[in-house]
Amino acid sequence: MILVEHLTKQFLQPARFRVPAVTVQAVADMSFSADNGAITGLLGANGAGKTTSLRIVAGLLYADSGQVLIDNINVRENPRAALARIGCLSDSRGLYPRLTARENVIYYGRLQGLSQAAAIKRTDELGELLDMTELLDRRTDGFSQGERMKTALARALIHDPANLLLDEPTNGLDVVATRRLRDALRHLASPAGGSKCIVFSTHIMQEVERLCADVTVVASGRDVARGTVQELCQQTGCEDFEDAFVALAFSPAAANGATA
Amino acid sequence: MKPETKPNLQTPPHTGLRDSLIVFRKEMVDAIRDRKTLMMIFLTAILIGPVMLIALSVIVGQQEEKSERREVWVSGLQRAPELHNYLLRQGMKVNEAPADYEAQLRDFRLGESVILIPEDYAEKQSKGESPELRVVFDSANRQSSLLVGRNVGLLDGYSREQGLLEMAMRGVAPAVLQPFRIQERNLASAQSRSSQMTAMVPWMVMMAVLFGGLTVALDTTAGERERASLEPLLTNPITPLSLVLGKWMAASAVAMAIAAISVSSFFPAKMLIQSEALQAMFRFGPGDAILFLIMLLPLAAAVSAVLMLTAVYGRTYKEAQSRSTLALLAFQMAPMIAIMDFSGEKPWHLLVPSLAQQTVMLRVLRGDELHLQHLLVPTAVSLVVTAVCLVILARRLKNLAIR
Repeated sequence: MILVEHLTKQFLQPARFRVPAVTVQAVADMSFSADNGAITGLLGANGAGKTTSLRIVAGLLYADSGQVLIDNINVRENPRAALARIGCLSDSRGLYPRLTARENVIYYGRLQGLSQAAAIKRTDELGELLDMTELLDRRTDGFSQGERMKTALARALIHDPANLLLDEPTNGLDVVATRRLRDALRHLASPAGGSKCIVFSTHIMQEVERLCADVTVVASGRDVARGTVQELCQQTGCEDFEDAFVALAFSPAAANGATA
Repeated sequence: MKPETKPNLQTPPHTGLRDSLIVFRKEMVDAIRDRKTLMMIFLTAILIGPVMLIALSVIVGQQEEKSERREVWVSGLQRAPELHNYLLRQGMKVNEAPADYEAQLRDFRLGESVILIPEDYAEKQSKGESPELRVVFDSANRQSSLLVGRNVGLLDGYSREQGLLEMAMRGVAPAVLQPFRIQERNLASAQSRSSQMTAMVPWMVMMAVLFGGLTVALDTTAGERERASLEPLLTNPITPLSLVLGKWMAASAVAMAIAAISVSSFFPAKMLIQSEALQAMFRFGPGDAILFLIMLLPLAAAVSAVLMLTAVYGRTYKEAQSRSTLALLAFQMAPMIAIMDFSGEKPWHLLVPSLAQQTVMLRVLRGDELHLQHLLVPTAVSLVVTAVCLVILARRLKNLAIR
């Protein structure tokens, strides 16, 4: 379970060559929660603060204020225990081109504290789950986007974390690969897959409609609405989820909230 | 809310060192898989010894040959037949210098100094004045300046002989004319004489070490940033310091291997040397090799740490390369103080990385006595530099990981 409470984060760009210093309020007041056994969508336009929020959750950035609890563990106070319970598919998903997919995955498994044997066994399981068995022993140099994504996802799942953070995982994937990913995520959220708590950030409405039980709409660094897809449609009085999203994320209220 | 209250909170038994070893092993595999680069580095390291020694043996051989050849070049020989006679009596072969010898000396076509007999030589001599004899050379043309001293000595001897003959005819005792006898005595041992030639040897070895660690240092820092693999790496429960430590161990292991290989490459190379003089000059035994390594291994560690720190500020491999070139340049140039400056070693030399190593390795080659500070100070400085760089790197890593 992931609980995010009132996060704020400012970035200061120092002055450089006549360009004056700029303060960017990336996250203004962000709260959301994600339950076990469910896929929670974080829906927002580009630059709404999704990636920054997820980075704070993953302990890569420190929030200026607010807190993040992963299974009741505070990330700031106890980062290593918290990180051991998160699998993270971040925005950057670089692989080591001279290592095979298996070696890439095992490396993370070892850093997560698995023994070599356990990591190998788990890699085989993930190969089955993500339909990438024949990829495992190839060097990742020259992998396609879909193959890279699978490897990165296997890497994030190697230690069988209870919580999974996915930052725009469908970026650059074709229809077939996206469907496979969706199936895999549904499986992971189901009791058979371990009832994981999955947070899924995206700017694509269709993804959210198809996948997420619970949606948090993010705009200008804060959460502006929360509910199921249907609830959000009802709340705005729109038939179409896209219209509902635009009404929520780009309404004067959301914009005012950002400047207030 | 407290973590302890959760039943299944136990995290796997992490220790910083275990994490570092995992990172180290992965980085080594990664480096070894980069076959081409690695082959280039190791080939350079293997070739340094033989190439250096063969080049030196050619130079020394030329000098030996030249000093053995008893030949002089004289311009205007016909003006001074007695001098010609004197030179022949000294067992010299006398050659007439080419007419344009000055031009030839300037553009390196003539590698000999020339004795110039002026046109008014006979005239001045008959009047009882002392004519001026010149030894012409070009100090930029090293070959021509080699035997200047010998030629001046020859003319001096001739001048003395003439004077003695004159005075002896007037009944003056030779001792009056020569109240002192002057002899040179060179204090330098054969080894320390040769070290002027072999000063480049430690420098070349250090260059191999500097460039050896470069690839891995760049790949583990800027390479990770360029591939966008640093951010996901940091989502693992590992402290930045143990991550940096593992990466540094890999970079310095390669640099240290280069040091060991290039130092040991001198042993087979010694067998290739023809010149006996050089063989006598370049006394490099196993003991010296160990002293070299005591100097080079900590330097390899420090260089790797410095290069990693400079490289990590580069977003791409290329950017990092240009940054670390600056650091490399400093390491390359510092030893030049010991090679170029003949005013001798100063105490502060031991405090500057790479200059210190050069100084101590030169002492080893010269066969000079080593004191405790020669071994301890450079090593301590290297270790401090390493520690400082790694700590700064670990602190900055998280900020730099995020693009």
